[in-house]
Amino acid sequence: MADILMRHDFDVQGRNFDKAGEVSSEIKVILKGLGIDSKIIRRVVVVSFEAEMNVTMYADKGTIVFELTDRNILLTISDEGPGIPDIEQALQEGYSTAPDEMRELGFGFGMGLPNMKKNSDEFEIDSVVARGTTVHARIGHNA
Amino acid sequence: MPDSDLKHGFITDSSLCKGCMECMRVCPTQAIRVKAGKASYIPDYCIDCGLCLRVCTSGAISATTLDFEDLDRFKFKVAVPSASLYSQFPVQDSPAHINQALLKLGFDKVWDSSIEIEMGNRALKDCVRNWQGSYPLISSNCPVIVRLVQVAYPTMVNQLIPIESPRELAARALKRRYSQELGLAEEEIGAIYITPCQTKTISILQPAEDGKSDLDGAIGVNEIYNEMLGLLRDLDAGDIDTAKQGLISTTMLDWGTPEGQIKNLPKRRCLALTGLANIINVFDDIEKGKIRDIEFLECHVCHGGCVAGNLMVDNPYLARSKLLNILSQDNPTTREFEQEVERRYPLEDFTLKAPLKPRELNDAAGNLIERVKKQQHAGLVLDRLPGLNCGLCGAPSCKAHAEDVASNKYPPEDCVLLSRDRVALLQKLYLPDEPDQAEEESDEAASGD
Ligand SMILES: Nc1ncnc2c1ncn2[C@@H]1O[C@H](COP(=O)(O)OP(=O)(O)OP(=O)(O)O)[C@@H](O)[C@H]1O
Ligand SMILES: [Mg+2]
Repeated sequence: MADILMRHDFDVQGRNFDKAGEVSSEIKVILKGLGIDSKIIRRVVVVSFEAEMNVTMYADKGTIVFELTDRNILLTISDEGPGIPDIEQALQEGYSTAPDEMRELGFGFGMGLPNMKKNSDEFEIDSVVARGTTVHARIGHNA
Repeated sequence: MPDSDLKHGFITDSSLCKGCMECMRVCPTQAIRVKAGKASYIPDYCIDCGLCLRVCTSGAISATTLDFEDLDRFKFKVAVPSASLYSQFPVQDSPAHINQALLKLGFDKVWDSSIEIEMGNRALKDCVRNWQGSYPLISSNCPVIVRLVQVAYPTMVNQLIPIESPRELAARALKRRYSQELGLAEEEIGAIYITPCQTKTISILQPAEDGKSDLDGAIGVNEIYNEMLGLLRDLDAGDIDTAKQGLISTTMLDWGTPEGQIKNLPKRRCLALTGLANIINVFDDIEKGKIRDIEFLECHVCHGGCVAGNLMVDNPYLARSKLLNILSQDNPTTREFEQEVERRYPLEDFTLKAPLKPRELNDAAGNLIERVKKQQHAGLVLDRLPGLNCGLCGAPSCKAHAEDVASNKYPPEDCVLLSRDRVALLQKLYLPDEPDQAEEESDEAASGD
């Protein structure tokens, strides 16, 4: 495995909608500062934002680990939450178990996981019901 | 585009600069530094918002607009007033009076942009309706917004509305018309925008897309204001048909006003945004994919829209009320107006002179490992800085200073808490008549030890 040039760890608090999205903003600032191509940054930001939202919406707490190698950006999002019983199904566009009040906030369209997958070069979900979920995403860059 | 070619809408005269740092503190892209008591800016990051001009009290920053004498190179001079001009004078002065005063001022004609603005409304509506790319579309009428996107949101450049602004359409139309009518070459006709803000001036000097503006320059409302007031008082009653307020269509007055552009679009899917800080928040949300259902964002950097431009004279609330007053007068749109819009709309070319592109910034020097090191270095410098964001180092925040240090632009010791030399320098610059306190104090400290 290639050397990790940079690593940042972030905490995400479940159900704290006030702060939701802040980690993605920080990651964006880091990548901009590094002069990473803006199209790549946008993909990373979409993935981290959707992941952050899912932790906020479904879990009690979680972490986002950002790692940079000479060719890739790796995001690992782990949470302590209910887990996903059927990952295939969760990955379908439009599938959502989000309650109505989330939908009123403009979330819960079942587009998060599909968008994350679409914006990643490699995407993997590990989940144990009643324990938690870990999402790995790799986005290649050529900076 | 190499940065030396980047023109900006203001002129700085460092001999006048008092080094007060007001401009540095308000600059939204942190483009200004005040070292050695003088402000300077990083052209790459300037988006021509003009906040620096608004707060500068020393006169060191002024708008680049045209000198009246410059206009003499044209055989025929046509004023193209921004609708906001009509909000600046006493209520009894209708647009007809104001246009008359512009003629007295020395213009040969005043061009009424009602038709171009109405065509702009239609083109906008068609563009939003038929759009195949990513939503939301972002209005491109305010040049600051275009530059903000080019500099800070490069991936959203293709969401900027790719249609020509009404003022450009107007310039093209008037040159066509008067060159035909008067047998002049188009270069002999000057199309001069009467501008509410310095940003529109830069959009004429240097359009955000590569290409040349059809307008020949701009004059700020504040530059002609006093003379216009005098001329308005001296107008002969017989000069003006007081039965007419003087505009082909008052709908033009809505264009630069918040919600003026979305009024023809499906409301639920459009937002009208005002103020740079708010707009930046929404753009950040778009980047994250948080805004999903919105098709169009009408953006005005100035709260209150163009009547609040930085070259306006009157307070924006009074100005707005004057526009409302004109709008409230009975002024049915005429059949000629509608027919003319119908006739010209299908013939008009709304495409921009060139596609909009992100601005190339020169901040990605070195390979990735060097850039990571630089960022880590900046983090370490920041840890040593006080976090007060006092600005006395000459950078707008401790973070900006840390980045400058990591880029080898300035030494960490520019921070007053890290170095007494910086304090002494600032005392010399800002309190030149005081005895050298820093030295005395450090002497005392030394002897007290
Ligand atoms: N971290 C998680 N823990 C538990 N369940 C999750 C988690 N992430 C996703 N899910 C489940 O997968 C479903 C689909 O997730 P996805 O992010 O695609 O859509 P959504 O969150 O429901 O809506 P949107 O992301 O469009 O706001 C969710 O409704 C939820 O049931
Ligand atoms: Mg989701």
